[in-house]
Amino acid sequence: MNETLIVFIYAMITAVATGAGALPFAFLDGLSPRVASYANALAAGLMLGASFGLVAEGTEYGSAQTVAGGVAGVLFILATQRWLSGQDEISFGGVRGAGARQMVLMMVVMTVHSFSEGVAVGVSFGGGAALATVITVAIAVHNIPEGLAITAVLRPQGVSLPKCAGWSIVSSLPQPLMAVPAFLFVEAVRPALPYGLGFAAGAMVFMVLVELLPEAYDQGPRPAVAILASVSIIAMVLFQHYL
Amino acid sequence: MDATLTVLFYSSVAALMAGLGVVPLLSGRRPPLRLIGWANALAAGLMLGVAYALVRAGLERGALAVGLGALGGIALVFLSHRATGTAGLEINRMDDVRPEYGYQVILVNVLHAAHEGIAIGVAMAVSLPFGILMALALAVHNIPEATILSSIVTNRGLRLGNAALLAIATNLNQVLLAVVMFAVAVAAPAVLPWALGFAVGALIYLVMVELLPESYREAGHTSIALVTLVAMGMVVLLQDRAQGP
Repeated sequence: MNETLIVFIYAMITAVATGAGALPFAFLDGLSPRVASYANALAAGLMLGASFGLVAEGTEYGSAQTVAGGVAGVLFILATQRWLSGQDEISFGGVRGAGARQMVLMMVVMTVHSFSEGVAVGVSFGGGAALATVITVAIAVHNIPEGLAITAVLRPQGVSLPKCAGWSIVSSLPQPLMAVPAFLFVEAVRPALPYGLGFAAGAMVFMVLVELLPEAYDQGPRPAVAILASVSIIAMVLFQHYL
Repeated sequence: MDATLTVLFYSSVAALMAGLGVVPLLSGRRPPLRLIGWANALAAGLMLGVAYALVRAGLERGALAVGLGALGGIALVFLSHRATGTAGLEINRMDDVRPEYGYQVILVNVLHAAHEGIAIGVAMAVSLPFGILMALALAVHNIPEATILSSIVTNRGLRLGNAALLAIATNLNQVLLAVVMFAVAVAAPAVLPWALGFAVGALIYLVMVELLPESYREAGHTSIALVTLVAMGMVVLLQDRAQGP
């Protein structure tokens, strides 16, 4: 029981770390179209880089399952988009309309992604206290760019910085919630892992291609958007590798 | 087959496949803009899939080199666009009939083919089966790119047969660069992660600066996203099956 509590606490730490991702935006005027474009490009790159990592991990468990999960993830986002456009009045963080829809979608994608991460954390906890600490630190640090990506989408819409940090943390809450049962039921959960990782990756890549990148190209010059997106993909891939 | 011959063969296949780019134009009617958009998206997805595969291979051999190499690749493509005045060039302006535009489009295609040739060469140096898969992915990707080039030049009066030859010609540097890169990487294995990174950076940047933004102007976001994803997914799946080392 003690060990389970430790797993939970560790996973909570990682969730709170996501809020730290909002910090860079404290130094930026988040509201001009240029910044919005660059922020979307950055978020796109970070999410694509993260997806590369998810797919890499998933294919180690099984590539067909990962791809199947990816298909499910795409369908899920399509369905969510459909549902959202059928809603009359969406309001999020004080914003209404199309911007709110995009933010809700972003929150859904990142929260779903956290489920898979939480399971992955729980499954890997079987290796002892030292390994658990290493993994916790790794996930916490990895969450920071995720918080950054979320803030990059929310902030230009006018959501206040503390709220951005708050929503970032919310999006990571599934991590501690899923880590505990995953840890307790490792053998049952393990087969589902590639599907989950693929699901998260498919959803994120689709979101990047259907929302974030078009937005970025609409509001900023192509070379700048391309450089930002490309560099952040590379940075995220390296980041994940070194963790 | 001797390894170098393998590289020569498959990179030639990639270049020759560009000739198939004229097939959608055989009907004689101008292809709908949506189709051009999907062609761009298909090319983009395949390139991203190849980039993913190359990154996986590179990280095992030296992550920092991959990262720095990638920055170099991005920088080189960016600078080559600046130097040739093709920065921000929209490659699908069907109604632009100025001679300079035609030359610019051809130049852009030649420059891009160079990076793809490098990608094939380094992939071959990782392992031949992996290299063959990458060459084939890039070969398929050459077809939609050639369709785009062909629609522009046939619009200016070039006959289809000549358009096909032109498309192949713009890709010939892939063959030379693939063989050279392969030889260099085999002779100096320390170069490999740098070269892999370089190819990755160049390919990703090309997708981001040209293929994707172009495609969004030609077809709906959702269809573009789906086509790109499916193309990426297929390369990822095949790459895993081929057991890239």
